[in-house]
Amino acid sequence: MTKKKTLSPGLIVVYVILIIWALTTVYPIIWVIQNAFKAKNKILENSFALPTGDLFTMANFRKAFETTDIFGAYKSSLFISTMVALLVVLLAGMGAYALARYKFPGSSLINSLVIGAMMFPAFATVIAVFQMEFRWGLANTGSWLRNMMSVILPQVAGNMAFAMVVLTGYIKGLPIELEEAAYMEGCNAFQIYFKVIMPLTKPSFATVAIFSFLWSYNDLFTQSFFLRRPDMYSITMMLNNISAKEGTDYGLMAAVVALIIVPVIIVYCCLQKYIIKGMIAGAVKG
Amino acid sequence: MGANIYRNKKPALVFLLPAFLFMVVFLYYPFFKNILNSFMHLKQLGASATEFNTPWYTNYEEMLHDPNVWTSVKNTIIMMLVTLIGQVGIAIILALMVDNISRGKQFFRTVFFFPIVISATALGLMFNLIFLRDKGMVNQILEILGKQNLTDWKAEGIALVTMMAPVMWQYVGFYFVILVTGLNNISEELYEAARIDGATALQRVRYISVPLLHNVICTCSVLAVTGALKVFDLPWVMFPKGMPLKSTFLTGTYMYYQTMETKNVDYGAALAVLIVVLGVILAKVVNAIFREKDY
Amino acid sequence: MKKKVISMMLAGAMVLSMTACGNSGNSSDAGSAASTGGDAAAEAPATEAPAAEAGQETEAPAAAEGPVELVVTTTFAGEDSNAQNYKDAVKAWEAETGNTVVDTSATADETFKTRVATDFETGSEPDVLFFFNGADSNSFIEAGKVVSIDEIRAEYPDYASNMNEDLITASLVDNKKYAVPANGYWEAMFVNTEVLDAAGVAMPGADYTMDQFKADCEKIKAAGYAPIAAALGNIPHYWWEFAIFNNQSPANHLEIPESAADENGQSWVAGMNDIKELYELGYFPENTLSATDDETFAMFTEGKAAFLIDGSWKVGGIVSSCQSDPNDPATLDTAKLDKFDVTYVPGKGSRKATDLVGGLSSGYFITRKAWDDPAKRAAAVSFVEYLTSDEMVPKFAQHGASALKNAPEVDASEFNSLQIKAMNMMAGTTSLTGAVQDLFAGDCRVSTFDGMPEIVTGRVAAEDAVAEGLEAYQNQ
Repeated sequence: MTKKKTLSPGLIVVYVILIIWALTTVYPIIWVIQNAFKAKNKILENSFALPTGDLFTMANFRKAFETTDIFGAYKSSLFISTMVALLVVLLAGMGAYALARYKFPGSSLINSLVIGAMMFPAFATVIAVFQMEFRWGLANTGSWLRNMMSVILPQVAGNMAFAMVVLTGYIKGLPIELEEAAYMEGCNAFQIYFKVIMPLTKPSFATVAIFSFLWSYNDLFTQSFFLRRPDMYSITMMLNNISAKEGTDYGLMAAVVALIIVPVIIVYCCLQKYIIKGMIAGAVKG
Repeated sequence: MGANIYRNKKPALVFLLPAFLFMVVFLYYPFFKNILNSFMHLKQLGASATEFNTPWYTNYEEMLHDPNVWTSVKNTIIMMLVTLIGQVGIAIILALMVDNISRGKQFFRTVFFFPIVISATALGLMFNLIFLRDKGMVNQILEILGKQNLTDWKAEGIALVTMMAPVMWQYVGFYFVILVTGLNNISEELYEAARIDGATALQRVRYISVPLLHNVICTCSVLAVTGALKVFDLPWVMFPKGMPLKSTFLTGTYMYYQTMETKNVDYGAALAVLIVVLGVILAKVVNAIFREKDY
Repeated sequence: MKKKVISMMLAGAMVLSMTACGNSGNSSDAGSAASTGGDAAAEAPATEAPAAEAGQETEAPAAAEGPVELVVTTTFAGEDSNAQNYKDAVKAWEAETGNTVVDTSATADETFKTRVATDFETGSEPDVLFFFNGADSNSFIEAGKVVSIDEIRAEYPDYASNMNEDLITASLVDNKKYAVPANGYWEAMFVNTEVLDAAGVAMPGADYTMDQFKADCEKIKAAGYAPIAAALGNIPHYWWEFAIFNNQSPANHLEIPESAADENGQSWVAGMNDIKELYELGYFPENTLSATDDETFAMFTEGKAAFLIDGSWKVGGIVSSCQSDPNDPATLDTAKLDKFDVTYVPGKGSRKATDLVGGLSSGYFITRKAWDDPAKRAAAVSFVEYLTSDEMVPKFAQHGASALKNAPEVDASEFNSLQIKAMNMMAGTTSLTGAVQDLFAGDCRVSTFDGMPEIVTGRVAAEDAVAEGLEAYQNQ
């Protein structure tokens, strides 16, 4: 696994480039967090300064916690996004396997349908979905669980096409020999899928799961249509609600943005270890 | 060959069914209604259409004469080139670089992904502050460098650049992660063998990494092209209603504008059809390009 | 057609009922609000209990069965300055009646309006709705999904009886009254006197004319400031309204022209061209076409622009911009706040500067669904009566007008300097007319609102833009 490396000039250039890009991705987050601790009228003058001494204030966070039920919002958001990620991985994985391996009449049409589905703008479909779900008694009810489901289902569908495209591309790249070997041993298609394909596809599953989770977490439009009651608000809904009326209170904005992204980044950094493990597991087999 | 295993097509149906059920119910059926709506007279979102437009294809005819459609398609195509070259290109370079270093791999993998984690709405607010005329991050830096007057980064000539740079920046990490996943799947033994044969790092990239990444790069390109057609949040937060002077509309933002802002619902529905048609055609083009180059 | 809201309105509006600080009900605000709020809470049960009982009598068996769950949608959400008032009021009502309220309020943006329309379309509308009473409510009134005040009065004769009948806006659809108004608004011109002083311009008064205004703008521009804080590419609404108003009179402002060619239509075209002239003279900020309203408002509060035409809700925004901690009124920099003033909008022709725009643009609707539900009818009526009581309305109205017959006395000692200036300014108003853009909603607005940058840069002729909008209006 180890690559022998000496610190050549080429390698230094590589590191410099990587570090510069890393700065552009990390600094904005630091910038937001440090400004979350400043009063709103100080931000524009002093956006680069660290919030120390007179600049420092907790007022933004105080207001954020006072005016919102942030823990309830986390609960809703995490439940929705976890469910979406799980369902997408499970169902899209099966679909992608079929698309990657089976050749049947109309398979290219199905491919087009999948790519087309990826294009459907949510603004074009949300009304019909709402009317449908209301008829089923899912949308706009008093039940927390049903309300969550009313968001989860369209989000699963919305992420399905993307997941299938990524997973199909990945499965196609897997060597077919392993499947043949399993077939020789008498496995049927389902056993092959669960015993051979799924373990091999783990890294790609992880990628898809993360993206589905994040898109669901950050998808304001669908949520704002289905989650109406403040006690069921998700975290992005809260940000939007606050920014709508007090868009110039940059301090409060920064505080709320920080409250939204910091947990996600922490969770992502923790899971990162397992994701890498999954990736390596895939690599060994390849 | 492997075709033997997959001669029996029945399992394929079972595999595909749940996923397609979801898509049919929550995407195709609503979109079919959307297509229908694009021929109807509909001025209120949420209302049911009762009468057809006269003639029924009015909206599609109007599209041809609507200068904003042309602006948005033109901007979207620029955006596509930017995403293809900028996002996927930078992502490939970064992924190959990270794959070829030994220290800090995990750090870069984690960090490059950060922009995706932040919601586009939050990012839009942030970039608004960065590009603020009086005086955001960029103008503050320019002032320190001795520039006298303030630059309006959202003025007509430069607005497109101000809009596309953050979009490009945000999604590099997305393709980066997909590509790194693909790279990890390439057997270490191949590299080892090449190294023994005396191949340089660049040669290994050229003759092992890139060819074996072919499928993944193709996927990324399809995602980039179709993604550009739908990109919405960030441009909308930074340049609502195609500001300034409707010069920054993209297909996604223009459709939203027509549907949600002007309540020209049926016209918005027609624009959604245009987006999907363009998307499918362009995805096919990308696929075709990659198939020709099959290794 | 819609009635003009003039002198009658003023009677209620002049006695401006203001709570201490315009901005939302945060902790320190609550202290001052308690002095009035405490009375309200104490009195409210007395006035409300009979109403609730009356409801139960008429409703006989079903309603007596115990607590009711009422679904209520309002625009008092997010950072609306009344969000906290509303929450408190709902809690008090729940405690008093034992009923529960399921609140589905949201910020009043386009998505929210769509949501409300979809709810009515699918039959999932709330029981009580606080919503715009202009063209935005047309669709569900046409569909007969809300109950008119007259129909409610047939059973509850006292419903909305504390309101001035002339100030309850009738629907554009059938000229019937549906919505019980709560808090109103006015639009006027805010001034940063610091900029005026620096440019050597005197504070304008009640007889301010457009010509004087332009002369002042010229001086301010020469002194290196932006005369007018406005983002024409983002929120041209206020200038749109007054520019048209300036070519008309309070008597005909609310009439929508048949076409751009007729006399009234020409006054609209002239209004658009007036804005174009100001733009060409360079009185708007350099980036007025690419800036957001937030940015130009910041220019105004930071002393980079002199004039700002905006609504009564901006009083709170200006006050909080003078606080080092925007959430803590104790940190108010009164010296800075004293530099802000509010005055009349420069007049022209038969519109005097003191003829302002204002009124009551929203109200409480009771939906047909709730009315036909015997369990909910009394509760819905009781809820609306509670929130539109003589005690409650002044808390919501703040700087805005209300439609109350007997507005309570105002204790001016708790006001900050801008609120006092606002009250004095309102006392000199000669008329308050509704905003014609509330009648002109939907896609007809597009060509002159979103199209404003094209008009002022001359890419589209004002005449064509107005004609396009009016055509869309006639087709509605």
